[in-house]
Amino acid sequence: MTCDDARLAVSLRADGELDPAGVDALDDHLGGCPDCRRFEAGVGRVRAALRFEPIGEAPDVASTVIWRHIRRDIDVSAAKSSWGVAAAVALVAGLVAGATFVGVGREPQAPAAADIPALVVAAQPGVETVDARFTLRESTRPGPRDGRLVYAAPEALALTVGDDRLVADGDRSWQDAARPCSPAPGRVRCPAEERRWVRSVTGREPFSGTAAVPLDLVVPVDSFSLAAATGGAASRTIAGRPAVGAEVTAAQMAPFLEGLAEAAGLRPVHPADPAEVWLDADHLVPLAVTVRAGGDAGRAAWAAAAGVSDTPGAVIVEFAVTSAQVNEPVDPAVFARPGGPADAATDAGFRPGSAAPAPTPSPGALPAGFRPHRAGAVATPGGPEVGVRSWTDGRAWLTVRATAGWSGGRLFGDLGPDVVPVDLGNAGVGYARADGRAVALHGDGLDVVVAGSLAPTDLRAVAAGLGVVGRGVPATWAEAATATITEAARALPGLLVPGEDLAGFGAAAVRIDGDTVSQVYAGPGERGFALVQRSVGHVPPPADGDEVGVAVRGAPGRYSYQRGQLDWVEGGAARSLRSPTLGLPELLAVAEGLEPA
Amino acid sequence: MTQEREPRVEELDPALIRAAAAGDLAAFERVVRAYQQHVWRFLRRLLGDPAAAEDVAQETFLRVYRGLPRFAHQAKFSTWVFQIARNAGLDELRRRRRRDRLAAAVRAPAAVGPVGEARAEIEAALADLPLDLREALVLVEVFGLPYADVSEVVGAPLGTVKSRVFRARERLQAWAGAEDGEAVGDV
Repeated sequence: MTCDDARLAVSLRADGELDPAGVDALDDHLGGCPDCRRFEAGVGRVRAALRFEPIGEAPDVASTVIWRHIRRDIDVSAAKSSWGVAAAVALVAGLVAGATFVGVGREPQAPAAADIPALVVAAQPGVETVDARFTLRESTRPGPRDGRLVYAAPEALALTVGDDRLVADGDRSWQDAARPCSPAPGRVRCPAEERRWVRSVTGREPFSGTAAVPLDLVVPVDSFSLAAATGGAASRTIAGRPAVGAEVTAAQMAPFLEGLAEAAGLRPVHPADPAEVWLDADHLVPLAVTVRAGGDAGRAAWAAAAGVSDTPGAVIVEFAVTSAQVNEPVDPAVFARPGGPADAATDAGFRPGSAAPAPTPSPGALPAGFRPHRAGAVATPGGPEVGVRSWTDGRAWLTVRATAGWSGGRLFGDLGPDVVPVDLGNAGVGYARADGRAVALHGDGLDVVVAGSLAPTDLRAVAAGLGVVGRGVPATWAEAATATITEAARALPGLLVPGEDLAGFGAAAVRIDGDTVSQVYAGPGERGFALVQRSVGHVPPPADGDEVGVAVRGAPGRYSYQRGQLDWVEGGAARSLRSPTLGLPELLAVAEGLEPA
Repeated sequence: MTQEREPRVEELDPALIRAAAAGDLAAFERVVRAYQQHVWRFLRRLLGDPAAAEDVAQETFLRVYRGLPRFAHQAKFSTWVFQIARNAGLDELRRRRRRDRLAAAVRAPAAVGPVGEARAEIEAALADLPLDLREALVLVEVFGLPYADVSEVVGAPLGTVKSRVFRARERLQAWAGAEDGEAVGDV
């Protein structure tokens, strides 16, 4: 029994979940292993600490729930309930009948639109500077706000919207914005004047994913890297520049919209809301983005929870560039630190030039034109020291992060459990994030992750050329249940997989766990879905109260708007499609396209 | 540590649940009072914020009330309530995600309320765990839920729950070691 096995067994025994047959082997190991005994004692201390609760600390919510909410609503809801269900069913039926399936559809792609993803990735090296002025309109504000975006490759960006600003330059960034205030019913009142709030970050890693610089405002790589952009590709002139357009969803444009929100405090949009995007024909810089309110039945409930009221089809967010210059000199003064002290200052821990304990590998070959950018090391409290190198060409970037001190449990690099094992030839096995934008290698004594704005195949080539041989992860790691579709089909007879016409999504991350097979598909922006199948003949009872009945592949199924989950039983197995970013019509389209593995 | 099983969340009389489902508000109030502490404590750990946990606990019981007529008694009632609380908590986290993203990315201290230093430390260590590990550990440790119930609540397979609980414990070893005055393993 290894220490990893023993500690897992300790954890199981603490919860009464250890097979009695394993008890003796565990006790034998513990008898001779002081480290594992300490682990067991630690588990006990954590339990004692977590179970300590001062008496009387929990609030009494019963009276509030019953008197303030239920009694007040009871007459109204009794009158409305039968109408509500009928209206929801009618809307779903109408949507399904008239739906357009953005990114999942089986319509032939317009050639120009299908080319956009490749064009966007290819355009990055050619963008050195951008200086654009724009207006931003939102349905929740009375008038437009003027804004300006100034960018200088690779990591300097100044975004101004009205009075709010985000400035980033290399390893530091500042954000100066009105502080959001969320009143709770009967408890808090927001001040009449919104407070300003300046936050600063120093020690940013190169192209950090956490204190991120919203590079999708410059060229929307994350929004389009995997996408076969669909229908409606067209051309027009915006701010004197030729532009190409595509129809997508707000979920696909999430990296752009969230980037804008860093300075603009944008109103909420629903992931399934349709969006129209216009990009500069030469440099693929966004020139106009228009989001309209969708007509999905669940959207009304979402809007009520989000505190907005929208008419289906109405424009809710409109970003329009009024003048733009690309690759003209920009004044470095725009990236200067804003005045006034910071209300919150954070050191993200990156130190340029400092040597990491283990050498950070370099790719044997870089994409043409790439040159070294910032390098150094980062340490976080309680975490291993990590060496970081980066390379860049215009807006395109690539990072390699490596550590010799990874304690395991899951892959280094926060790729999440949904990874796709990839064959890197002589470099062994790598694990690609479901969206293909990061690849991790678990080497001998060295754990590495490669990330960047390159096409997934180019990123794999870089990972394969690092001189590190990746091994399969240990059985106790989160990614150990990773499998291929063929293995999954053996584990669950009758397994369904999406058909070949599933456009715009990467390869599936497949996991087998007992009688359950999960497939996770990542798409552009924040689009993605999970298909989970289990060999039981029923679905669990509804848990959200908003479920509606829908027909799925000719069988009765149900859909929860709150969870974004479609459930049905087929061939004696419970099947579910879940997505926070695809609406019901799109999930139904995915379901209809499923076929036996 | 010996093998043990400590269910710390009681199951209610099905007759009480049926009465509440039929619109008996007195019965529903008893249901709320039976679970409100558990729900609030779970949400406090999930959200790291006692006041937000109170608001979301109210939302949870409203959803329970609306869902009761359709609760089919195929699953444990307590598991169903935790599932609803979790969904309501995740909705709240999604709402907060955008405005908190920068702060959260750089380890904002968790709001733990007026508590002692040692408790604040374990709460902060817990708040540092990724959400999937945190919720699994809290359901097992604080409420003594069997792995099969946790699997229902979080919608993940049994083996995943097993591994999440284990990994959460591994990550908390730094805290446990510090409590003991010695370093324990690599974390």
